Amino acid sequence: MRIFFYKSILVFVLFILAIHFSFGVIKKQVKNEYINLISKEKVEYIKDKIREELRIGIEKEILINAEDAELLNNYIIKLKTELEKNKNK
Amino acid sequence: MINKRKNSQYIFLSLTYLIIVIAVLSTFRDLGIHIEEKFHRMNGLYWLNYIAQIFNFEKISLITEIKMKEISDYTLSSVQRYNKYGVIFDVPLALIEIIFNVEKIENVYHIKHFFSFIIFLISSFFFYKILITRFNNFFLCLAGTILFITSPRIFGDSFLYKDVLFLSFFNIALYFLLKLSDNLSLKDIFYFSIFSAIAFNLRIFGVFLPITFFLIIIIKSFSNKNIYYYSKFYSFYLLSLICLIIIFSPYLWSSPLTNFLDIFLSLRKDLIDPNIKILFNNEFINNRNVPETYLLTWIFISTPIITLILFLLGYVFYFKRFIKRFINIEKKQIYMDFWRGRNEQKDFIIFLILTSFYLSLLVFNSPFYNGWRLVYFLNIFIIYFSIYQVNNFIILYKKNNLKKKIILFFITASVVHNIICLVSYHPYQSYYFSEIISDLKKNSFEGDYHGISGKDFFLKLISDNKGKKMSVAIASHTPLHRSLESINFDLRKNFEVVGQEYKNADFIYKNNISEVNSNLNKKYNIPNNFVKIYELDVNGIKIYEIFQKIK
Repeated sequence: MRIFFYKSILVFVLFILAIHFSFGVIKKQVKNEYINLISKEKVEYIKDKIREELRIGIEKEILINAEDAELLNNYIIKLKTELEKNKNK
Repeated sequence: MINKRKNSQYIFLSLTYLIIVIAVLSTFRDLGIHIEEKFHRMNGLYWLNYIAQIFNFEKISLITEIKMKEISDYTLSSVQRYNKYGVIFDVPLALIEIIFNVEKIENVYHIKHFFSFIIFLISSFFFYKILITRFNNFFLCLAGTILFITSPRIFGDSFLYKDVLFLSFFNIALYFLLKLSDNLSLKDIFYFSIFSAIAFNLRIFGVFLPITFFLIIIIKSFSNKNIYYYSKFYSFYLLSLICLIIIFSPYLWSSPLTNFLDIFLSLRKDLIDPNIKILFNNEFINNRNVPETYLLTWIFISTPIITLILFLLGYVFYFKRFIKRFINIEKKQIYMDFWRGRNEQKDFIIFLILTSFYLSLLVFNSPFYNGWRLVYFLNIFIIYFSIYQVNNFIILYKKNNLKKKIILFFITASVVHNIICLVSYHPYQSYYFSEIISDLKKNSFEGDYHGISGKDFFLKLISDNKGKKMSVAIASHTPLHRSLESINFDLRKNFEVVGQEYKNADFIYKNNISEVNSNLNKKYNIPNNFVKIYELDVNGIKIYEIFQKIK
């Protein structure tokens, strides 16, 4: 009885600790990552960052290079044509 | 001869206590008030009013109602909502406030600080008794007791009747537990149940006391085969403990069982906001999901280095012995399973509580904030194992006088170091950091979380701007306006606290306490039209800063 009692306690404690240091710790890390990702502060930070980048962009003399401008222009024209086509149907 | 020696030891001990009391009496008024004192005053008055109404003490009931109406603070948590806090200190002190008609609010807090320290000091005497019955070496036990009292963070918090108050009662209960492990008597069981009930009233961690007592009784009954004898004592303990828990907690009076269960059920619900961030190692982390290393890191960085090394050596030494005893448990036993004598039995109990408590904290993912203050009672075990290790060294170097003297030198140096720290950190001992930590590192952890620097801040502004009316903003999560109660009523009128309305402020108070990630959230950023005019720095720890508006 005595030996059984001690062994049961030891097995129980080791089992709990094994669960904690494997599954428990991983769960905690994932939870922390998730909380940080969706936190209001993080969202506000990203919004601020976008605003700042836009502001910097406006201040630049040339926003996009000629090659990209041409590509974007062609893309918009193509998109516009297709939209017009759909509208006429 | 032995009696004469004992008398002179008690005289020496009394003198030590007298010096401590004199030193504290002359300095304790320097301490500011911490941010939760207002709540605790309210808590005391609320429950005193409740008791007065039950027992028909009309005058007390009336006075408490008037006093409660006078306490107005929009940031203060409602006592009706947070009604499960212990009242064992708050109610008697509310009664003292009324009986002695203490009118000046700053004096109410000073009285509370002093009583809180006196309880801590009384508890330290019980710690001395724990040590002397275990080690039987006056110098060693005196050094241990002084280390216990002068551990900087513990000493600083001992005035603030929160975590160290629990430490004090837990320590007294532990003394009776150790006494009972030697010899069971109804008188000691009753004392043990009183202090266990008080400890439980203050912090739910007190539940470890009956559990440990139960385990000790089981282990003992295995060897003595006298389960009836032990269960008789334990039943008496449990019964008196339950009665006393109910007596000490008016919250349980109306519906003992439901409200008792509610204490456990509301554990997570009543904690501080789950979205609150805490500064830990230069990162803002969620208080409900602290890293595994949180507690150990805090203990390592805020415990004096000699004490820490001695504790680690002592703990490892005992752990090895425990494993050896565990492996050698046999069916036929001559000795007890985990100890060979009364002294070792005490070591086992201390080891059992410390280890099981620490592992429970890890497994239950306990929320933490403000360093390790919630578990300051672990300092009892830290000092115990430090003294245990010094005792091991003394036994080991019994025949080597030089080595013995070196060990005694280290323990004396540790005591002297603590005393020097208490002086140099005064009155901010609760923010002590180990000397091995760089200043940069010290400031990457929470600093003045109690907000006790508020008093110094207001007095500094008054001395620099005599007679002027000032608007003060706060770039911190600290409810600074509560600190106004730590200064004279006439001086309070000079200030208007405007929260985070920086544009309306003449001065800004800033410390490194923030409930948001201040690297991402700019709510506590100082506006460009303010300039830093003062910084209070204590041994490299930035306590607070003052910014003034540029005219």
